[in-house]
Amino acid sequence: MNMPEDVSATPGYSALMARLQPLIDSGRLDNIVDLLSLVSDLIDLLDAATVEKLANVFEEVTASGWAAANTLRMTRAEIMTQGKPPSLYALLKLLNEEDTRKGVAVVLKTLNVIGRQL
Amino acid sequence: MLANQLARKLYPEILRGEVSILLLSDCPDHYYKPAFMYVAFNLYFKEELKRPERSLLRPEIGFQVEKVTRFDFAGQRLKTSSGKPFSYDFLVIATGCLPAPERIEGLQEAGDHFYQYDPARQLAQRLSTIEKGRIFISVSFPQTPNVPHQCGIAPVETTLMLDDYLRRRGVRDKVEIIYTYPTTAQLLRNCLFLQRPTGEILPAIFEQKDIHYQRGFTLSRVDPDAKIAYSAEDEAQPFDILMATPPIRAVDAVLECGVSQAQNDEGWLPTNHETLQVYGLENVYVIGDTVDLPVSKAGGSCHNQAPVIANNIAAEIRLGKPVSVYDGRVQAVAQMGLNAGMPLWYDYSRDVQPTPPTKIGGLLRNGFNRGLYWAVARGML
Ligand SMILES: Cc1cc2nc3c(=O)[nH]c(=O)nc-3n(C[C@H](O)[C@H](O)[C@H](O)COP(=O)(O)OP(=O)(O)OC[C@H]3O[C@@H](n4cnc5c(N)ncnc54)[C@H](O)[C@@H]3O)c2cc1C
Repeated sequence: MNMPEDVSATPGYSALMARLQPLIDSGRLDNIVDLLSLVSDLIDLLDAATVEKLANVFEEVTASGWAAANTLRMTRAEIMTQGKPPSLYALLKLLNEEDTRKGVAVVLKTLNVIGRQL
Repeated sequence: MLANQLARKLYPEILRGEVSILLLSDCPDHYYKPAFMYVAFNLYFKEELKRPERSLLRPEIGFQVEKVTRFDFAGQRLKTSSGKPFSYDFLVIATGCLPAPERIEGLQEAGDHFYQYDPARQLAQRLSTIEKGRIFISVSFPQTPNVPHQCGIAPVETTLMLDDYLRRRGVRDKVEIIYTYPTTAQLLRNCLFLQRPTGEILPAIFEQKDIHYQRGFTLSRVDPDAKIAYSAEDEAQPFDILMATPPIRAVDAVLECGVSQAQNDEGWLPTNHETLQVYGLENVYVIGDTVDLPVSKAGGSCHNQAPVIANNIAAEIRLGKPVSVYDGRVQAVAQMGLNAGMPLWYDYSRDVQPTPPTKIGGLLRNGFNRGLYWAVARGML
């Protein structure tokens, strides 16, 4: 490459060239340049509406994963603190708690919606 | 954000039943406030910018919709409008700030702003119908020395968005935009932005877009009938739309708690720059817009303050004293026009080093607004 002397003499340029030389020698720099153009194409293709859709999917996935992890963590912690397994009466009492009934409704409704999509 | 981080940090104590966390808010929903700016350009629906607060909190955290009306710091209690008292061992005040256009004569009647949903909708109505005339942009700073207005970059962001928006509508050549800045902007005088490096690049950006600009206009009075804005520097400027960054203040309960030393009854709490404790009070911290710190009243500040407070409360419980220090860091991606974005960061000792706005920056900002923010609020990022 013919570079003006003042550029090729800069420490930054020399350091960069030293890193790139093995890639140039083995012809692999082409892959890097191709990858850069692919990234650039993707950026060109992205528009506000696509970003909005991707962001919504991100939120849905992270929020569901977060809620599931929270549920497991809290349930496990509460069961573990009880020491021995709950009695049948304790289970029935639990079934009647407002939060349990809301949870059971979510599970049943989930099955219902799965069925609706079959 | 902070409650979630606290719940994670103090999880062993929560499991042992030694610690419980309760969040009180006067509103069942959590609003992503920066989106109000987009509402002004018809880019966001109200339904998209809020989530139920409960859905953003880990289940270990209690949540009650209660408006705090009085802080009893000596008794470590809060009074609420329902009459229910709440006691605490540690308290974090995160009640934000409110726009107060009524503090400038005539501004409430004749001015517009985008710092709340309803005013932003009204501004959207005006911006979407103006065919010709003059849009005058003014910025009011708190009178408390070295305290900024909410989200320092917002007036620049909205000025550039306005330019793009009017071009899209095909009326830009008939509408004059004039961006003004007050004589005193925190520690700077006669500038266009509250930090010098950014202020210095603004003239070139504005000139390229035919946006007029003026330093030294401190809005002091508005004549709603004549549609004239007057400045403390004795100047009069006519307008068709006055897009203002209005004065701000803390919420009533904070104003009335008697702890603030801020001027003009603005209510900012005296904040330890490093630990984020409130000076003069035991076991009380403050985060976000209610602080009297010199850094931007921005979500990007809360993001960096939250881990410091979570660590300090955990350390007070476990070691008897706070251990973490806030370095004033704020980060954000500024919306520079409708499509471009500029990532930025700064702290107590370093100003923002502006970089050229890019399309990638714009996509990143859009992605943050629409999705990433909610992961941040949940304490995941
Ligand atoms: C138009 C606009 C654009 C912005 N742009 C950006 C940006 O680009 N980047 C950025 O980082 N930041 C931006 N911000 C700033 C950011 O939104 C705020 O800094 C942030 O929301 C502050 O958080 P906070 O918790 O202090 O207050 P808030 O978010 O205002 O939350 C306060 C909470 O307290 C509750 N509350 C108030 N009073 C009481 C009471 N008496 N009792 C019980 N609850 C109460 C409220 O209901 C609310 O839920 C922008 C803000 C606006 C308005």
